[in-house]
Amino acid sequence: MSKTAIIYSYNTQKSKKVAEKVIAAFGEKEIEAVNAEELSKDVLNKYDNFILSAPTWFDGELPNYWDEFLPDLEEMDLKKKKFAIFGLGDQKGYTENFCDAIGLLAEILEECGATIVGETSVEGYTFEASRAQRGDKFIGLPIDQENQARKTKQRVEDWVAQLKKEF
Amino acid sequence: MKDLKVPKQYTIKKTPKETLENWYRLMKIGRALDEKAPNYLKQAIGWSYHAPYAGHDGIQLAIGQSFEKKKDHLYMYYRDMLTALAGGMTSEEIILNGISKATDPSSGGRHMSNHLAKPEWNMHSVSSATGNHTLHAVGTGRAIKYYGEKAVSISSQGESSVSEGYVYEAITGADKEELPVIFVVQDNGYGISVPKKDQTAQRKVANNFIGYKNLRIIHCNGKDVFDSMNAMAEAKRYAIEESKPVLLQANCVRMGSHSNSDDHLLYRSDAERNYVVEYDPLAKYRRLLLRYERFTEEELNKIDEEVKVEIKASHKAAMAAPDPDPATIYDHVFSDPYVSEKYPEGLHNEEGEKTKFITALNETLKAEFRNNPDTFIWGQDMANKDKGGIFNVSKGMQAEFGEKRVFNGPIAEDFILGTANGMSRYHEKIRVVVEGAEFADYFWPAMEQYVDTSHDLWRSNGKFSPNVTIRLASGGYIGGGMYHSQNIEGSLAAIPGVRIVYPSFADDAAGLLRTSIRSEGLTMFMEPKALYQDPKAATVVPDDFEVPFGKARIRREGSDLTILTYGNTTHLSLDAAKKLAEEGIADVEVIDLRSLIPLDEETILNSIKKTNKVLVVHEDKVFGGFGGELSALINEKGFEYLDAPIKRVGSPFTPVGFNRILEQAILPNTQRIYTAAKELIEY
Repeated sequence: MSKTAIIYSYNTQKSKKVAEKVIAAFGEKEIEAVNAEELSKDVLNKYDNFILSAPTWFDGELPNYWDEFLPDLEEMDLKKKKFAIFGLGDQKGYTENFCDAIGLLAEILEECGATIVGETSVEGYTFEASRAQRGDKFIGLPIDQENQARKTKQRVEDWVAQLKKEF
Repeated sequence: MKDLKVPKQYTIKKTPKETLENWYRLMKIGRALDEKAPNYLKQAIGWSYHAPYAGHDGIQLAIGQSFEKKKDHLYMYYRDMLTALAGGMTSEEIILNGISKATDPSSGGRHMSNHLAKPEWNMHSVSSATGNHTLHAVGTGRAIKYYGEKAVSISSQGESSVSEGYVYEAITGADKEELPVIFVVQDNGYGISVPKKDQTAQRKVANNFIGYKNLRIIHCNGKDVFDSMNAMAEAKRYAIEESKPVLLQANCVRMGSHSNSDDHLLYRSDAERNYVVEYDPLAKYRRLLLRYERFTEEELNKIDEEVKVEIKASHKAAMAAPDPDPATIYDHVFSDPYVSEKYPEGLHNEEGEKTKFITALNETLKAEFRNNPDTFIWGQDMANKDKGGIFNVSKGMQAEFGEKRVFNGPIAEDFILGTANGMSRYHEKIRVVVEGAEFADYFWPAMEQYVDTSHDLWRSNGKFSPNVTIRLASGGYIGGGMYHSQNIEGSLAAIPGVRIVYPSFADDAAGLLRTSIRSEGLTMFMEPKALYQDPKAATVVPDDFEVPFGKARIRREGSDLTILTYGNTTHLSLDAAKKLAEEGIADVEVIDLRSLIPLDEETILNSIKKTNKVLVVHEDKVFGGFGGELSALINEKGFEYLDAPIKRVGSPFTPVGFNRILEQAILPNTQRIYTAAKELIEY
């Protein structure tokens, strides 16, 4: 397996906790953590496989740390790299934009030639619309700490097991 | 409509440095003013209304930068401070408005602070009624399309304003007429303290309009300069090239309270207030400038210092500016009327064949439309084959002047009037006539536009005159019942800024209509519909007849009693006077006021001086009717001339019933006038 990085904002609370769960499931030695607040092209060049944390802000936006990196990201050639994205969202409070950030980030990465892995089923979620949805799948792993916190641990563990095969 | 992509015209890497610098400077100036504004209130200098815009920076910069002064048309709302700056206003002008100085370009201190405008640039004066300028923007869009200009009309507003019915009317109309209008909805999640979940089922209110056929909906991040600039650029391109409307929803945050009379600590958690500040658009823009090495910290700090110096200088200049002069309060209440040189008293001695009231109106409208190619008329039932207006007053006009000048409005009275206001903003040469409603008492939905339009001239300190004539078929005696037979002029007359005329005869109808259309400003033209075909109201009408505003007409001279009246009751009063004369009881003078506002006080008082007794007669209710004002005026200025109390005849304080028996019991008639007059004479 190639080198894997998990990128999340160290300034966050909830996303950080989920990221820690991902790390634990992945095995600390197998993955390196990178602070999303300090993103650069170098970080993406350094690894082959990535797990990205992309919580959805407001009515379907990327958080600033991703948004402000896009001008660089959009110029990159990511053809040989694989990305898996998880993101926090609220399927009740923001049901029209549930975990949009996962989809937004995936679309940009795909335009750069990247391969997105870690699709999950929409089963078990109730929402109106999501940019992360493609058919009956999500393009990544939605995590809903507001309404389904008890499912998070299992969802993360299943997802990481899947990723280990897909990376 | 298919979700079209917004091209990335502006990016942090490709945008020229001088453009980026200009934006940064504007944003810094704006934010400095936004933060400084409350201090003026604390020091009791002014700026008592301030709605901070912090958190809307991206989209406001984009609106202002997209606006081409004197070509595009821009309607800003009370939070649009950066929009105004980015559109060309200076920091000094913003402060002049904030502290309500005489030289405030928006209103000369007449309108609330934060209601920014510069009408000479097409940055239009707007009211405080949230989102009601969407109707004006649509009217201006209609003019842009008619005159074939490559420009847009932009309405900027908060997301809560979309709860207003007239906003739906506006967007529906722009969609139907395919107008180049951009509706920018700045969504910060709150209408004062009301969260958007309490306003609309969809969090993105623009999506409520997905079913519209011609409307393109664009969403953007209003906190991001580049996303906002790209969205506005695309909206403008699309609106102009396709001649279709765009609804642009910009997601913003409100970093502060709604205004300085609101305290968001009462309803927003610490966490929420903190995270919206984290998404400060100005801080983000600065980070991007540095991160992508477009500017150094030193360069930006230098601009920051320059901005401080500018704000200080603007403050000093604005503080030294003159305050408004209290003696000017009567300036710009009314626009300039057309002055008749041939008929200065609105009288004529023409002889010949008589013309019916309705024919006089129809012929005058046509004559004025031939005279001025920039005249337009619309309303409900206005034009469909042989139908021309609910009573066919405008019959034949569409055939002669075409569908672009004479057309049907939707069943939306506020839209009919609001777009008239907006279209007249495009150019002062334009004259709009609207049939304000099918019947006068259906006019009430248009009241918010009526009120707004009534004070447009005053509010803009004389810079914008809505040149609109509202025609309304008014009154009863047709067995119409409620919404078809009532009078509303008593209520309307309580609102300053509108001329109200109410002719009773064909010649006066023609003369007053000509004057209304040729004048600047808003005129309410009431038509007593019972007289349209009545031979009693038919007169000889000179082809070029003109009746100035504020000129009453003595329709019967007399020496024993003055009857003041207008509309339908002029004829009833003349009948009563005739009967009193025939019976040898009295010689009664009947004055047809013709014009309620302005009022011909001179003719009224001169008559009372002669007769010493006065009877006020109108069809509207006695209680709350215009006769109350007439009585008060006579009491104040003519009391010494009176030998008897002022008496009034009108309707009782009831609605007008539908059954003829009820209608007759309510509306005044000749007998009631006769009886009241006789009582006065015998007093």
